Amino acid sequence: MQRSRWIGAGVLASTLVLTSCSSGPAGVDAKQDSKAPLELWTRTTPGGPGEQGALKLATAFEKKTGYKVEVTAIFDDFETKLQQRAAQKNLPDIVMNDVTQLGAMHSQGLLREIDLDKIKDSGQIIGQGLDSGKSVDGKQYGLPYSAQASALLIRKDWRQKLKLDVPENWDDFAAMAKAFTTRDPDGDGKQNTAGLAAPLSTKRGYASWYFSNFLWAAGGDFITESGKGTYKPSSATKASVEAMQWFRDLGCKAKAIQPGAVTMDTPPTNETFEAGRTGMFVVGPYLLPRFDETLGKDKYEVVPMPKGPKDATVLAEGGSVYLMAGSANQAGQDAFAGFAVSAEGQKTGMEGETGYTVQLPVNKTVDISQVRPDPRWKTYAQAYQDSGRYAPSIPNWTPVRQATADTVNALMADCGLDTGTKLRELDKQLADILDEQGIAAS
Amino acid sequence: MSLDQAGPAAPAAAGPAPRKPGRQSGGAAGRPGRSRRSGRWWTPWLFLAPALILFLYFKFIPMANALTMSFQEVQPYLGNKWVGTDNYATVLQSHGFREAAWHTLVLAAGQTAGSMALGLALALLMEGQSRRLKFVRSAAFLPVVVPLAVVAELWRIMYHPTGDGMLNSLLGMVGMGPSGFMNDPDTSMASIMVTGIWRGAPYDMMIILAGLTSVDRGLYEAAKVDGASRWQRVWHVAVPGLRSVFSILFILAAIRGLRVFTEVFLLTNGGPDGSTEVVMTLIYKLGLEQNRLGVGAAGAVLLFVATLILTVVVQLLRRRESK
Repeated sequence: MQRSRWIGAGVLASTLVLTSCSSGPAGVDAKQDSKAPLELWTRTTPGGPGEQGALKLATAFEKKTGYKVEVTAIFDDFETKLQQRAAQKNLPDIVMNDVTQLGAMHSQGLLREIDLDKIKDSGQIIGQGLDSGKSVDGKQYGLPYSAQASALLIRKDWRQKLKLDVPENWDDFAAMAKAFTTRDPDGDGKQNTAGLAAPLSTKRGYASWYFSNFLWAAGGDFITESGKGTYKPSSATKASVEAMQWFRDLGCKAKAIQPGAVTMDTPPTNETFEAGRTGMFVVGPYLLPRFDETLGKDKYEVVPMPKGPKDATVLAEGGSVYLMAGSANQAGQDAFAGFAVSAEGQKTGMEGETGYTVQLPVNKTVDISQVRPDPRWKTYAQAYQDSGRYAPSIPNWTPVRQATADTVNALMADCGLDTGTKLRELDKQLADILDEQGIAAS
Repeated sequence: MSLDQAGPAAPAAAGPAPRKPGRQSGGAAGRPGRSRRSGRWWTPWLFLAPALILFLYFKFIPMANALTMSFQEVQPYLGNKWVGTDNYATVLQSHGFREAAWHTLVLAAGQTAGSMALGLALALLMEGQSRRLKFVRSAAFLPVVVPLAVVAELWRIMYHPTGDGMLNSLLGMVGMGPSGFMNDPDTSMASIMVTGIWRGAPYDMMIILAGLTSVDRGLYEAAKVDGASRWQRVWHVAVPGLRSVFSILFILAAIRGLRVFTEVFLLTNGGPDGSTEVVMTLIYKLGLEQNRLGVGAAGAVLLFVATLILTVVVQLLRRRESK
């Protein structure tokens, strides 16, 4: 029995050691096969219109080029599942995900550099879109296929009932948010509405993502470039503190943000707007098809964000095509990226009434008003062009977004905290993050 | 084994005490005989192989990988870098981890104690053979079999932080509230704890009910004859009879409490203001949201060690007590 125990333990220990030591780089130089099907992951709801849009794009690509594409739609915990595949050294060939995921994936070596010379029509990509796919050293690791910017959605019927004008500045915005909260805009005799819908959970950094629309319009910032690719924290500057205080007052004093916002990510927040619990929502154009269906096109309007203390800067984001490391079909990867940004690919991605793969086109030769005559889309295109601002291109934006989201969440959840103190603490955290990423200004 | 056989004087020793002499005698006297009977040494391993292979691939290898990763900066496609104990230092020096560890302990202790107390109360109320009781017991057990995602959504609705929310309207009837529940950093931890107790208590109830069947009814009757009140019968007869059940429940509940993740992740994601951040949600954020898999793995190993220590300590205490 003793011997058998030792043998069993020995076999187990050897297996554990052998399996846990395989940590070298792998899969980067995979044997190439242009016939190998391309596995494509897209961050959208499985079975939803987004998946249909991706399938449509993939089919058009297959028809044009002969490459085979297998589409997988994942929405919840997309990055987690990607990490699991990375740990197995078996990444999908192509990922279509947010532009801000570039740094996180690049820093782990999950991305293959894109050679723009191999991408047909890459010269037609809008400049700021192309820049959003560059790492801090100027190399191209993502290729935008869709852009978006934030605009303001307002319950038109509520606004008209309360005889309010479309807000032109932040005072109007706050007044409307308060009126929607206190003046019973839905006329049910109960005070059960709130002015603004806001996903302020820390999940995926939503609180930071949402607040940046207000922070930047006030002239504030999370981090500021101070030359030669270095950055310094700026969340405690006068403009940043004032922006935070103004936004906080909307929640803490006017009670004009939906109850429970600090634990809500996007799905429950979307529901508050479509269920008539909130009357304003700062959001990208991807929700228009959904709200048209659930709420009704006539019930709400899309207007540009009112001007803040500085300007009307809004968050610009979008989706990028990422060519993943370890692919057995790099020629197919390049061909797909080329097709996604081509005029044909962009128009294919914009087709239909609901399944938009492309929100706003990134190809200069494509005019949105010709593909979508709906003026609401023109509003979004204008906001992107005139006031859209991407998150800065640093090695990894994710920790910055997470830290800032934690602080925004804390300040919105606990009205007793001191804004200045909390933002100075955030500055210290940001300094550490910048230092860790080697881009801290001395 | 019934309490009649074990003797009423030492109900707690009923489980382990008679087994130990048996094991010793079997070990001393029976070893040569057993080796003759069992044939080839690998026969038991052969029977164990299917389970061991599954465990190996789905438990032990991932565990070993996590251990290795905890000493590395993990970059699967660039090559992992060996960083020694840096990840552990990062985790242990992090204020966030210490806070999360404290929250985890508070939540584990609260949920364990709450679930066991409520489970005992429910078990005492529902002990018996009546058909109606069987139905009520099944109904009470429902929270355990409902998926956690559904439980979280249910409680999210109940915890709606305005006056017209379900629980807040009840509070309003007694002139209290409205409470922010999980949206208020002051009450968020208690809200999650209540959800955990609601889900864990019926599970504990079932195990306690099973334990109660082994308590000799004669003891209750004897106590009653001696003039013991209902409460005294519970305290002096039922509770001592359930001591081994409680220690098993304690281990199970404490492990469940230390590894709490899903309800926190779904209800608050560690917020608001980090007030419900527990070790598991922090590990998830570090590893899978911030892509610092090495640091996340170090946190996971520390949690594993804490759980292991807790289990071993409880087992040692049980053994000492049973001696």
